[in-house]
Amino acid sequence: MNLLSPSTHLLLVILMPLVGAGIVWLVSSRGLQAVRQSAATTAVLTLVAAGWLILRYLMSTEAASNQVFAMVSVPWLTGGMFDIRLSVGLDGLSLWLFGLSALLSVTAIFVSWEAVTERAVGFYMLLLLLETAMLGVFVARDIILFYVFFEFTLVPLFFLIGIWGHDERRKAAITFFIYTLAGSVLAFLGLMTIVLWNASHTGSVTFDIEALTAGLSLHPLPMDADGGYLQWVVFLALLIGFAVKVPIFPFHTWLPLAHVEAPTGASVDLAGVLLKIGIYGFLRFSMPMLPEATAVAAPWLFALGAFGIVYGALVALVQQDLKRLIAYSSVSHMGYVVMGLFALEPVAIEGANLQLINHGLSSAGLFALVGMLYERFHTRSIQSLGGVAKKAPWLTALFMVFTFSSIGLPGLNGFVGEFMILAGSFQRAWTGVSPELQQSYLILSLMGVVGVVLGAWYMLWAVERVFFGNSRLPPSHLDNESQESLDLRWHEIVALAPLTVFVLWIGITPATFLAPSSQSVRTMTLASSNAFNRQMQPAQGHAGTEMITHNNESSDQQDRPKTNPTFQKPISVKQ
Amino acid sequence: MTPSFLLVLVPLLPLLAALATVIGGRRLGPRAHLPAVVGIAAAAVVALSLLVVTARSRGSAETPRPVDMVTTLWQWATVDDAYAPAHDSHAAVPGTAVGEDAYSARPFSISIAMRLDPLTATMLVIITSVGLLVAIYSIGYMHDDPGYPRFFALVAMFVFSMSMLVAASNFLLVYVFWEAVGACSYLLIGFWFQKPEAAKAAKKAFLVNRIGDFGLAVGVFLLWLTYGTLDFHDTLSPDGTILPGILGQTRLADVSGYVGGIVGTAICLLLLLAACGKSAQLPLHVWLPDAMEGPTPASALIHAATMVTAGVYLVARSAPLFMACPGALVTVSIIGTTTALVAALIGTVQNDLKRVLAYSTISQLGYMFACLGTGTLLGFTAAIFHLLTHAFFKALLFLGAGSVMHSMGGVIDMRRFGGLRKLMPITATTFLIGSLALAGIAPFAGFFSKDEILASLHSKGWPDVHHSAENGHHAMIPELPSALSHSGTMHDVGYRGVSNYDNHSSSHQTSDVVGLDALNQPAVWKALFWMALVTAGLTAFYTFRAVFMTFTGPLRIPDEAGDHAHESPSVMTTPLLILAIPATFIGFILFTTDGLAHFLAATPSFTTPSIVKTATASVFHWDLAIQGTLAAALGIVIAAVGHLGRRSDGPQLERWLGPVRPFLEHRMFIDQLYAAVIVKPIEAIAFLAAIFDRSFIDRSVRFVAHLPLALGSVVRQLQSGLLQRYALAGVIGVLAIIVFLAWRL
Repeated sequence: MNLLSPSTHLLLVILMPLVGAGIVWLVSSRGLQAVRQSAATTAVLTLVAAGWLILRYLMSTEAASNQVFAMVSVPWLTGGMFDIRLSVGLDGLSLWLFGLSALLSVTAIFVSWEAVTERAVGFYMLLLLLETAMLGVFVARDIILFYVFFEFTLVPLFFLIGIWGHDERRKAAITFFIYTLAGSVLAFLGLMTIVLWNASHTGSVTFDIEALTAGLSLHPLPMDADGGYLQWVVFLALLIGFAVKVPIFPFHTWLPLAHVEAPTGASVDLAGVLLKIGIYGFLRFSMPMLPEATAVAAPWLFALGAFGIVYGALVALVQQDLKRLIAYSSVSHMGYVVMGLFALEPVAIEGANLQLINHGLSSAGLFALVGMLYERFHTRSIQSLGGVAKKAPWLTALFMVFTFSSIGLPGLNGFVGEFMILAGSFQRAWTGVSPELQQSYLILSLMGVVGVVLGAWYMLWAVERVFFGNSRLPPSHLDNESQESLDLRWHEIVALAPLTVFVLWIGITPATFLAPSSQSVRTMTLASSNAFNRQMQPAQGHAGTEMITHNNESSDQQDRPKTNPTFQKPISVKQ
Repeated sequence: MTPSFLLVLVPLLPLLAALATVIGGRRLGPRAHLPAVVGIAAAAVVALSLLVVTARSRGSAETPRPVDMVTTLWQWATVDDAYAPAHDSHAAVPGTAVGEDAYSARPFSISIAMRLDPLTATMLVIITSVGLLVAIYSIGYMHDDPGYPRFFALVAMFVFSMSMLVAASNFLLVYVFWEAVGACSYLLIGFWFQKPEAAKAAKKAFLVNRIGDFGLAVGVFLLWLTYGTLDFHDTLSPDGTILPGILGQTRLADVSGYVGGIVGTAICLLLLLAACGKSAQLPLHVWLPDAMEGPTPASALIHAATMVTAGVYLVARSAPLFMACPGALVTVSIIGTTTALVAALIGTVQNDLKRVLAYSTISQLGYMFACLGTGTLLGFTAAIFHLLTHAFFKALLFLGAGSVMHSMGGVIDMRRFGGLRKLMPITATTFLIGSLALAGIAPFAGFFSKDEILASLHSKGWPDVHHSAENGHHAMIPELPSALSHSGTMHDVGYRGVSNYDNHSSSHQTSDVVGLDALNQPAVWKALFWMALVTAGLTAFYTFRAVFMTFTGPLRIPDEAGDHAHESPSVMTTPLLILAIPATFIGFILFTTDGLAHFLAATPSFTTPSIVKTATASVFHWDLAIQGTLAAALGIVIAAVGHLGRRSDGPQLERWLGPVRPFLEHRMFIDQLYAAVIVKPIEAIAFLAAIFDRSFIDRSVRFVAHLPLALGSVVRQLQSGLLQRYALAGVIGVLAIIVFLAWRL
């Protein structure tokens, strides 16, 4: 075992797709088959290595004591005060997202097998680069490194959408890029403020996430007027950055556009992994580092989550494009995650953390299947499809599995997360909030349950129209010799089978997946939970709610004079 | 073979059968039914043996004791220190942990646990035995269907889910399998998915059930918040304290173990909403008649005998919760009786044989709810008694209807065939037996269970006529559970000295009367009794209207049947003959021996003091039996006047109904009402939301996002539209801001 230390193993997993991208480029002259085979081999090997690493983590002592596993920390940009390091490590919070990234990369490559045949070299290279970025973002232990990976996920995806997308791909790619770039620039500002604040109190400029978390718990950012509401400013900056990614209503409109135009492989990664980075950001940065601001904002975000559930579901209900419908269902499902996270109850938070993985599996599966339908019939319009079940029974069966997973049928994964999130939300509403907020919390929690009913409505409506009923299919575009078999082909089975396994596995024994990240997630959210509980105590409850409005108004007023010069100065200097 | 192993086997065998069919179904070809039939048959044998085990361990007839055997398979999910109920004084058992510890945070701990008790054992026998006969029947009925293996896989899957539903010892597991049976039902209703009506009906069934599931989900959340656990059984925490389960011995034995008032009533009404969804009670009954689009054997098994009784099971299982909320109890009866009457009225004018039976199912389930709501031991046991007899005779009727449909070439409209008694003698005879049982004619099965239902309603309406147990009739009261008699439980700990935590609860166990409680008065019960009696007459009428239209008069066969209209093959008629036996005798046997009532009284849920004290000596109510029989006889006579021997399209009675008839034929316009009041408005809101999303949210966010770029248009040359430039500008801006911040701090 010592031949491969955990740290080397982790670095290896991150770098493998990068090397694979190089190999793809090298074999590009040998034609399509060589290109996609080497890409697929790389992804599968990376998945195996990542799976093995996860197993090693689960058996390690670090896992038991909630410490970072396979920690690597190499100086990168170090000099003078600055100490930016290449440091990566795996902990309970990263664990499953790391695994999900490796898993969905395999799916993304296999669903593109026949779909992408033009300029395939670039396509597969970008998918592999994206994989490295996704793996890296979840294991980075240094803020700069995190941000580099975070931004680096955008570039491959921008090109994947912009080059291999559908008719409106350019508009979609640019919208996607501008939205998320604007968000991430704000997030970066917030993170840098954290670093500088910490430096001004401890004297050393560290970018290490753990050190920053510890530092900020000793010297929290100020929440009052004297400190310029700095914690609020930073929280809002991070909020916008992460909310665009999730996406939280009303920052979601880039998502349907990006999905509809993206090639299937990119959709799988986008829905499955990239949306999770926003939530990961909340868990990794906002909640442990800015607990007071999180606590004050929690009711609003809880409400936005609940509203997003119903809103996303309602908009999904009238979509005519199957892919758009599933994109809106993502908005609805990520609403559950946001709601669970900001319920700030252990049950809900652990549920939300699991729901990240669940949504990754089910939405990736559904997007992959919609892509397969598109390959066959060159349409995604629900109106022009019908009776697919007769022609493609196994495709239909898998679509049903992922539909059931998505609508939270017990026994499959989606149910576990939803149930825990809602149980925790009701718990918060029942005993955890001040009396004047209780009614709103109860209504919001009920909205979450209403979302479960609406979710079944739009998904089953789509299933009924597309798969059941009379066969009214457009001609097949599959270029295999026999036009009779429209069912799954081997690479499609390879793409979906692992997802199906996990959909069932998580549904039947969720404890296997909850336990390893439990401690880590609890630690990350403890400060925020405590702050919120303090705020909600009956004696201070009123003050707490007052603070919300008070802070919102005054922070706006207070910010203007401070920030305006910041933006104007450089411009005026240049002119 | 320990009981717990046997208990696990009952669901496991059908599950394995389902998996085997999925994997090897294509290879088995025309023998794809083998795994399902063998698996369910084995499960039925095991279920019968469990019945014996349970009956033995409940003690002698003189000293019965509750049976409660818990098997925990694995831990489903655990979240430590999840919740500290602030108010519930029953959080922990006193004596072992009072003070701080009693209110310490408890884990959100869900285990896959099953519990064997008389109610479970009874339900398991019903599910597996009817399941077996339906599976055998389907060999003939589904013969040559392209989806043959899929059908048997689904049936086996259903038997698995339903067995788990009734064996689960945890409200979360109940929810899990509540939805699982719903999913099986969805897939079976939509079995012939090419038929648009079938696909629509499947979706409708799932969605209406989801509304019920909404109630169950919220109810389960409130249970967790109120009781700090979702387990039925008591659990032992690592530090030795006992965490009383919601339906565990500790809480059951406590006279104030259950929360009443607004919270309690809310929980019960939410559970009732769930039950209304699954058992097709008003106002959620609309899915069941449409569900007849599925294959008839599936209708017989799922939509008549077993799945739709899950609601009755849930209310019976949660009886102690309901006992603390008189308002919720009487609501159960009102909904049940109203449903029984409404469905029977609609059933009188239906011309589709399966739909007549579907409305009859809704109506009979309403009967069961009616007596559940009485909140007496008699009421609860009568509901399960009727559930049992109904399962057999209604499965018989459905399979009979399927036999008719099979030989009529798929036609099920009673106006298009008639006089089939000569053509199909076995089907006709067994159908008649089922009809007699349904109509409640002595000595067939339905007569006895219906009599008990009427008796339980009567005892509430005219309380002075009946003697309650408090007046000395302790004949069948099981011994109160105490530590020493827990031979069946896993946790025989002598922790119960004095129930010294009752005083804690007095504040929570308030007697705050919920508005509904006012309904619990004899006048209401009297009205319900008369409604039930009228329903009995209507039941007999529509049943025999169907019998006369289908089997009497001159022979008429639709064209679809071709020239091969004949009695069904023996693989189909044998299950009919077998089912005719319990449909005839089981009511008489169970009533005269009083076996079932005694047996069920040892169910933990029925041993709580509030229920035990309602126990009455079992008496045969001659007066009620005569009233019930007269009502049924009247119904049959009217049906005979209208339809016996005449051409079936001479609808005498329908003409008498006058303007009421179209109202009933359109099912009281309830579907249209829902479409107008619920579905259309939501669709309109969704439409507006989509427009709002496209034209407002997207535009305004775009506007805000473009604001900085618009500002930058001062510097013309930067706005080249090249993304790299924007990115570069962003990076420069960020650096500038960092420099500024560094300088400021």
